[in-house]
Amino acid sequence: MTVLAAAAVGALVDHVGVAVALALAALLIRELYMLQRVVQWLRSDRVDLAPDSGGIWGEVVSLIIRLYRRKQYHKRRMRQLLRELRHSTAAIPDGVVMLSPNAEILWFNRSAGELLQLRHRSDVGLRIDNLVRRPEFVSYLRAGDFRSPVVVPTSGAVEQYLYFQIVPYGVGQLLLLVRDVTRQAQLEAMRKDFVANASHELRSPLTVISGYLETLAQDESLDKSLRGPIGEMRRQSLRMTAIVKDLLELSRLEGEDGATQGEPIDVNALMQQLRSDLAARTMSEVDIRIEAELNGELLGEPPQIHSAFGNLLENAVKYTPAGGMITMRWWCDGQGGHFAVTDTGIGFAAQHIPRLTERFYRVDAGRSRASGGSGLGLAIVKHVLQRHGASLQIESAEGRGSTFTCHFPPDRVRQPAVAA
Amino acid sequence: MEAADISHHTSRRYNEDLERVRSKVLAMGGLVEVQLDGALGSLIDGDSKLGQAIAKNDYQVNSMEVSIDEECSRILATRSPAAGDLRMIVATIKTITDLERIGDECEKIALIGARLAGEERPEDRYRAVKHLGRITQAMVHNALDAYARLDVELALSTARSDRIVDYEYEAIQRQTITFMMEDPRWIRRALDVMWVVRALERVGDHAKNVCEYVIYVVHGKDVRHTSLESVDQEIKARTAGA
Repeated sequence: MTVLAAAAVGALVDHVGVAVALALAALLIRELYMLQRVVQWLRSDRVDLAPDSGGIWGEVVSLIIRLYRRKQYHKRRMRQLLRELRHSTAAIPDGVVMLSPNAEILWFNRSAGELLQLRHRSDVGLRIDNLVRRPEFVSYLRAGDFRSPVVVPTSGAVEQYLYFQIVPYGVGQLLLLVRDVTRQAQLEAMRKDFVANASHELRSPLTVISGYLETLAQDESLDKSLRGPIGEMRRQSLRMTAIVKDLLELSRLEGEDGATQGEPIDVNALMQQLRSDLAARTMSEVDIRIEAELNGELLGEPPQIHSAFGNLLENAVKYTPAGGMITMRWWCDGQGGHFAVTDTGIGFAAQHIPRLTERFYRVDAGRSRASGGSGLGLAIVKHVLQRHGASLQIESAEGRGSTFTCHFPPDRVRQPAVAA
Repeated sequence: MEAADISHHTSRRYNEDLERVRSKVLAMGGLVEVQLDGALGSLIDGDSKLGQAIAKNDYQVNSMEVSIDEECSRILATRSPAAGDLRMIVATIKTITDLERIGDECEKIALIGARLAGEERPEDRYRAVKHLGRITQAMVHNALDAYARLDVELALSTARSDRIVDYEYEAIQRQTITFMMEDPRWIRRALDVMWVVRALERVGDHAKNVCEYVIYVVHGKDVRHTSLESVDQEIKARTAGA
């Protein structure tokens, strides 16, 4: 437009070339000036100082401003989101600590800081196990097996129990969750105490009752019609005594914490002894076989292992009808030591397996009461095995019998020098 | 001589070595804290089983000391550390000796606790001993925290609280002497209690030593056998000058 007007003016004064050149030069200067102003504006970092102009430069400026505004908006939203996220994680009542693959603290929320006494500025970058030093936690962290959480008592003026759970995420990073479980731990301790005390208190009256019933049962002068009821009362009081005994045994097992060191146990001899004990006590017509290879001794607490293996054998005898067969096996391999009791008894359906070691769990209400069990045998087995770092494997088929196998870790087995 | 920065080395292995030693020392410290807690528990709750278990467990503290000591010698021999790293290693060797001694004192307390569990407990249920125990426990804990964070301020305040321990020690001593004069039948047990209190006082001293090593690591100044006030002033002057 400007150039056309200049050309027209140039035509009037007969100097078209000069007029056009002058006009172009003026235009160029104006454009360069605008460019300079825009650059200056962009350098100034202030949106409100935008140069005011029309034409192409005005559009460029307004486009830049729009771009900038949109970016600002997103940035604000991100910041707001981040702040909310940080506030919400800080408000989580559980402690959260983010750890690097080397267990260095990257970030932690307020409750974690309070529970573990971490300090915000100075403790980021330090290894968590340098500050949380309870051996239980340190070995949990170093073992690298984070499938189950760990509860650690802390020392100090007030007794406190902390629950730690590590969740791996990202590339080798770890998320540490901390929770104060002091109350639960105290309740659990109260429950244990109650069971132990109650069973202990029940024992003495029971002894008196059983004693009198025994005398009564032998009393010839007693009316015949009372014989039956008294016999039944005696059987039931014996059962109650057995339950109380097992309850006490269980609470004793629970009371002793930590894994036991133990001493070497000759499992082959133990199996022989269990068999002869059982033969002396019951008149079952079941064939009990022992399959043992000449190898490893088991490291454990002899009375506990005796009670656990005895319970397994007794169970097998209880549920195996006359003419059946029970096999006890002990063998060692690379995975450690294994003790298995297999019977050809009545067995049970697979759905019962997960609940079988619960206290007083009955596969069917009638059967174990009839056989006089306390309902605590397998719970005792489970506890003994836990204390020895072992696990219980149960297989069964209804009508065909079951196999209970105890798997002991390799460090619980002492191989004799000859064995390869 | 600013705060020892042990995390910048061209050799990554060297860094890892130093960091591992530090973690091991603190793991040992954690074990010692548990031992102290258990030893006091065995006495105060009259738990002979716990006392025996604690006394038996002391071998773990000892074997950790040996292993850390070996590692420090290896680092000294192969890496020839200088400046802050050297101070760190020297302080570590001293720290583990003190921690091991604390472990020994715990063993003593635990054995006495196990023995006293069978006897009648005094009326105050060892309240004074318990109080002193809490103070020394906090001292050990804070000394280890100061070591982990290389925190001079915490080290200083912890070292200062050794005075409270000494004061409590004197107080219990006087009280026990009164008991002994009142009733000579208590003398034997009172002597046992004195042994425990004495052990706790030693634990406090060892914790104080650890704090002094922390100051040595950070400021390169040996503050043993000097008064804490002058140390405090000097450190303030240094940080102001820096």
